Amino acid sequence: MAFYEENPQGIGKADLVAAILSYNDADSIGVAVERVSRGLKDHFGDRNAVLINCDSHSVDGTREAFFQAPSDVPRIYLSTETGGSGKGLSLRNLFEKVRQLEAKAVLVLECAIDNLTPYWVAALAGPLFKGTAFVQPLYVRHKYEAPLTSALVYPLSRCLYGRRCRQLGSGEVAFTGAMAETFLNAPGWSDAVSSSGIDVWMGMVAMTARVPICQTVMHAPRLRRSKGQAPELAPQFRRVLTVLFDLMVAYGDFWKRVKWSKPTGLFGMNGRETEVPPTIDVKVARLHAQFLEGFAAYEETWRKIFEPATFNKLMEVRSLTPEHFTLPSQTWATMLFDGAVAYRDADAGARAALIDCFLPLYLAKVVSYVKRTERMSIQQAEDYVEAICEVFEENKRYLIDRW
Amino acid sequence: MPKIMVVDDEEHIRLLYSEELLEAGYEVVTVGSGHELLPKIAEEKPDLVILDIKMVDYDGLDLLQDIRAEHYDLPVILSTAYDTFKEDMKSLAADYYVVKSFDLTELKKKIAMALETRLPE
Repeated sequence: MAFYEENPQGIGKADLVAAILSYNDADSIGVAVERVSRGLKDHFGDRNAVLINCDSHSVDGTREAFFQAPSDVPRIYLSTETGGSGKGLSLRNLFEKVRQLEAKAVLVLECAIDNLTPYWVAALAGPLFKGTAFVQPLYVRHKYEAPLTSALVYPLSRCLYGRRCRQLGSGEVAFTGAMAETFLNAPGWSDAVSSSGIDVWMGMVAMTARVPICQTVMHAPRLRRSKGQAPELAPQFRRVLTVLFDLMVAYGDFWKRVKWSKPTGLFGMNGRETEVPPTIDVKVARLHAQFLEGFAAYEETWRKIFEPATFNKLMEVRSLTPEHFTLPSQTWATMLFDGAVAYRDADAGARAALIDCFLPLYLAKVVSYVKRTERMSIQQAEDYVEAICEVFEENKRYLIDRW
Repeated sequence: MPKIMVVDDEEHIRLLYSEELLEAGYEVVTVGSGHELLPKIAEEKPDLVILDIKMVDYDGLDLLQDIRAEHYDLPVILSTAYDTFKEDMKSLAADYYVVKSFDLTELKKKIAMALETRLPE
């Protein structure tokens, strides 16, 4: 894959790569460069480190701002080619550059994070020098933050691949140079992976690579700077579910051999003070209405892909008022398992439509989750998420039998 | 026969767990102090550890970290009389946790799950 590169210092080798992802971030990349450079100097001063700006063809002067920012750390600028943008494409460029540099360790940070500190560099890259191959951050989160992770990615990835990685796909990540090579050769690369689906894809590829994985405790929330518009739910949902289903097809021989799950290693239990996450408000009535609207478009598809007992349960759920609404986790798991089987058997065109039909069902699960946890503390809500995961694991036999 | 190591500073708990787990078909070894644990694991090579959190001489969650450092995938079930320990993220390193009870149904279920867990090599 071709990419645009500027390497004014002619850097040919590095031990540690700190990558900063950007897209039209001229206003903020200077601060990110300063903080990451401080982290590298404070925590990895004895390593041969390089800063790489992985840009998605910004047009606002991000490249110039990257090189002008004060830092002693050598720098390389990479960008997708004209017409190509997306986090996945930027990271694929990075994997190739890591291979060229023969780097041992790589950490990836998004430029648009407001509360990035030098400690994040240590938290992410530290485990790589202690035998870990893939590091996933564990942020402080409000119970309603990232419902896509709580209701879909965590239960499904854990039951399929057997590792408990709570916040898979949260943005930042760290991995060894050997893992970059694994990513370059892994199956399931798609348009969804080329954009934001890459985060979830990397985590699951790492789980199937049988390498040591750890979660690193960040002691802080992840505060992403708004660029004027909220990320759209539907495209993100489609990308993530597409990646989940694509990898189910690619890794069937792996996940059929997994039974129950194991915890991952933990890093960063260092007594740092833990911050409080910002409160999140969920508009339950709107989500419930969108679920009901889904019947007009997808009822026949659901009837076709779900087993009769599951479809009948869904019709029962439809009749519940918002006050008493619940979508049982077993029904949710069974629908996803039936959907994965239908996805495996569908052609490319039908697969896109099949992914779409799951959005109203996911919104129903979010409503159910919010109703169930509204009087719970963050910890109690976490216990409930664990219970959802156990239901997925207990029902995995159904998936294997249908597959 | 899977070997289970019960780590608890209360003798009556060690006795209760031993009797019931022996009856359920497991081999059982008991440890009464956190200080003895790591050498005991090296010596006995258990298939699973049941670990009390609040011991007089040791914090079970710290011990769990020590176990993980040396035995990454050894199944560990936390056993506690208190629910609040889950607020400490160190507890995430355990395979499962159970609240102490004279009815060991839940504990036996978690032991079976932990011993059945399979990840491709």
